[in-house]
Amino acid sequence: MAIFQDNRKLISRMKGLRACFVLVFLVLFGKLWYIAVLKSDYYKDLAKQNQIRIIRLLAPRGLLLDREGRVLVDNVESVNLVLFLDKADDLEEVFEFLRGLDMTEEELNERMQAARRHPKYQGLTIKENLSMAEVSYVLAHQNEHPELTIVEEPRRLYRYGELAAHALGYVGEISARQLEQPEFKGYHQGDIIGKCGVERTYNRNLSGKDGQRRLLVNSLGRAIEELHSIEAIPGKSLSLTLDLDLQMVAEAALGDSPGAVVAFDPIHGDILVMASRPAFDPNLFATRISRQDWVRLSNDPNHPLQNRVIQAEFSPGSTFKLIMAIAGLESGVVNENDTVFCPGGISLYGHYFHCWKPGGHGRVNLSDAIRQSCNVYFYTLGQKLGIGQIEHYSKLLGLGQFSGVDLFGESVGLVPSEQWKERTKGEKWYAGETISVAIGQGAMNVTPMQLARAVGMIATGQAPPLRLVKDKRVYRPPATAVATSGSVPIFHEKNLQAVRNGMWRVVNEYGTGRAAMVRGFEVCGKTGTAQTISKAARAKLPPEVAAKFPSNAWFVGFAPRDNPEIVVCVIVQGGDSGGGVAAPVAGKIFQAYFDKKYQRPQQPEPLPATPLQVAAVTADATEARVQRGGINQ
Amino acid sequence: MPFRRFVSRFDFLLFGGAMALALLGILGVYSASLQNPASNAFVRQLLWTALGLFICFVVLSIDYHYLVDYALHLYVLSILLLIGILLFGTTINGSKSWLTIGGQSFQPSEAVKIVVILALTRYLAGLSEDYLKVQHFIVLVMITIVPVCLVVLQGDLGTALMYFPILGGMMIIAGLKFRFVLAVLLLALTMAPASWLVLKDYQKQRIMVTFDPDLDPKGYGYQTRQSLIAIGSGGILGTGIGNGRQSQLGFVPEIHTDFIFALLAEETGLVGACLVLMLYLFVLSRLVRVGEQARDRSGILIITGIASLIFFHVTVNVGMALGITPAIGIPLPLLSYGGSSALSTYLALGLALNVHYNRFVY
Repeated sequence: MAIFQDNRKLISRMKGLRACFVLVFLVLFGKLWYIAVLKSDYYKDLAKQNQIRIIRLLAPRGLLLDREGRVLVDNVESVNLVLFLDKADDLEEVFEFLRGLDMTEEELNERMQAARRHPKYQGLTIKENLSMAEVSYVLAHQNEHPELTIVEEPRRLYRYGELAAHALGYVGEISARQLEQPEFKGYHQGDIIGKCGVERTYNRNLSGKDGQRRLLVNSLGRAIEELHSIEAIPGKSLSLTLDLDLQMVAEAALGDSPGAVVAFDPIHGDILVMASRPAFDPNLFATRISRQDWVRLSNDPNHPLQNRVIQAEFSPGSTFKLIMAIAGLESGVVNENDTVFCPGGISLYGHYFHCWKPGGHGRVNLSDAIRQSCNVYFYTLGQKLGIGQIEHYSKLLGLGQFSGVDLFGESVGLVPSEQWKERTKGEKWYAGETISVAIGQGAMNVTPMQLARAVGMIATGQAPPLRLVKDKRVYRPPATAVATSGSVPIFHEKNLQAVRNGMWRVVNEYGTGRAAMVRGFEVCGKTGTAQTISKAARAKLPPEVAAKFPSNAWFVGFAPRDNPEIVVCVIVQGGDSGGGVAAPVAGKIFQAYFDKKYQRPQQPEPLPATPLQVAAVTADATEARVQRGGINQ
Repeated sequence: MPFRRFVSRFDFLLFGGAMALALLGILGVYSASLQNPASNAFVRQLLWTALGLFICFVVLSIDYHYLVDYALHLYVLSILLLIGILLFGTTINGSKSWLTIGGQSFQPSEAVKIVVILALTRYLAGLSEDYLKVQHFIVLVMITIVPVCLVVLQGDLGTALMYFPILGGMMIIAGLKFRFVLAVLLLALTMAPASWLVLKDYQKQRIMVTFDPDLDPKGYGYQTRQSLIAIGSGGILGTGIGNGRQSQLGFVPEIHTDFIFALLAEETGLVGACLVLMLYLFVLSRLVRVGEQARDRSGILIITGIASLIFFHVTVNVGMALGITPAIGIPLPLLSYGGSSALSTYLALGLALNVHYNRFVY
């Protein structure tokens, strides 16, 4: 009972506590009422003066350098127009004003749609790379349009325009679909990302971290003070394996003909040259690409956006005889001294197959057959091997599989087989088809990269991972490469030597590829002239139509003969003659490599692309900056 | 049947009020993290709440008499912990008051408040008098002042100040004679002009701007001024979650911790802000009710300590947002983002539920 007595006193004091709580809370309620109701208008006015602009400081992407540290891709300042939606009361009216800019109706509409979806407190870029006239136009109307601000942002500059455009790739604003992909986790709307080429594969290395400036602005949109800013962290620069000199030579040699050139170091896997024609100017994408440019590029029947080195599939033509030779020797079906008599054609499976030389080559061994590209020899070999063996060795040499180069969107090519035909056409394989495949026609399809890799394996017996990036620690193989780059099939050195011997004679002993010869540099190679329509089909067409389907010209080769340093693969679409069109292109690349190695004076070559006038571009930006001196931003 | 017993003894009203506040807090933290998608504050707040509830029920499961019995042990351990942190702790925002475990930092000085409540209870429950004598007064002050000094040494003045309302509230309930109150008041009144002379200029300015934030709108008055603009521009219905210019654009500093009340007021208006205050008043009066129903002195005293603590936190924090009290960085219990505050609040909640749960057990 005593305890109970004790508590009564305490409990009575608690009532005081409660009264105290209520009293103090009444004060809080009172002040809250005063601020949120009585003085609300006053504070709303103050809030309106509290205008903040969050200006994104775009981080410059890392530079792309060639293997000797020369800058291929750079950044320049671009003067951009940014719209702040929190101050734009009437979008229609703002866009009416924007008609004064050099923008098409379509572009304006697209930006207006974007503005409707854009977060309220973040700036939306309306137009990049404003001209002086546009800057003046906006500045003159700044008072009526405080929602518009001019900012400077780094823009990608591909110094050599179309040069190596497919290998380098291009950048652009991240799309809604990409935002959802795991590859682009952590990126936000409006971010600039690499869309293809090295820019895409190494996007994470190249993109920096954007910064931010928070400006307190007055009701006219002028900055009063900077609240705080986070500096942008530039992306890391990337050294590529490409050699600018060789790339220039290759592009010049290829000229305007559609085709592709790839050259690489067969020991280390460094890609020295990657050229594809027709090309595009990646600078078009560096600012928001105009719709008409995009339509023009994507609808062009010549597919300028396609990287023919890895994305186009062609019949290998006579270059496939190298693979046949390896298959014949490795399987033991023939040895290098076995001979075949070529009378100019051969009858097999009830069908007469022509050699390309009507009079025939007479008695030829393996090396002679490669040198003169004798069809009859390889028809015979094909008959002995059968499609199964051909398929097996083609795959060992990497055909019909991803080459594993560090680019997205590679094509896999096609190595035909009995199962393949059964599966896709539901028909049985005819023995006669094997004969076509034996000289690289028929269903067999390769990309220049695959063929170059196979030649590299013949040259060295090795297949290193193919890289466009110099630093092995940075190198990131695409997911498709894992299966192929692991195991390296080992062929017998004696057999490889025999094939190399034939290839040496192709170039140096009045063979089909003598145009690729370089004095003092033992070039080995093989030409090919691959039909794009079959002989039978051609025969049915009138000659003037048939002329529209000229054959593709191939040259594959490496040098020097011992300890090879460079593999080159050239295809000129519609070139019609491997020896006459493709071999000289390869010859120029071998010559340039050789001259460079021994520091001979370079042959004067017309440059395919002169470096863009960087000074002019930046001067423009500087002038614009001076003009804007009046603005305090 | 244990479940039926639980239902009959558990204080659903107190718990429900607290949970309603916690939900509003989660909403506020969610809105505050909208502008920074990289921030995981929202997810973390959910995790803290879950962990807090777990701790709350652990505390509930131990009869509070045991806790009072071991209060001295807990107190000594706490003092040692505070000394340890003073020597080896982590410094965040200028206060060496953080303990880092597995990459996660805690401020044990928050939880030590609850231990001080238990220690004071332990001492006061042993007294049979209705009024405190001078020697009692001295002992109680000593018990409080030791951790306060350690926390001040850690550099966390705001947290240290929050120990005094515990002491004050518990002494008043335990029977502080009027002449003591008078003496303290007189002392304070005579000290006030003297302290004004001692205070440094910046400290004076800090106090001055509380009453007139426009005195120094970009310096000390900045936070208060921006908070007032946020609350005022919210009006009656608010701007809607995520649409408050003041809150979303970073005008109000520490929006997800110390100034979360300003965010809720801007985005949910007078309606939301009043709801918050009414919920607090409900929780506080429910606590007083639990105290009145407590079965013994220690129960009453524990509840007094907890109620004083929460009351002062709310008053000072909301007062700060409304420009009534100086800008002292202390969190709003159950609403502000932060692990240490959440854990100690749920510890207190568990203890209060415990007192109610064991009110009929003799």
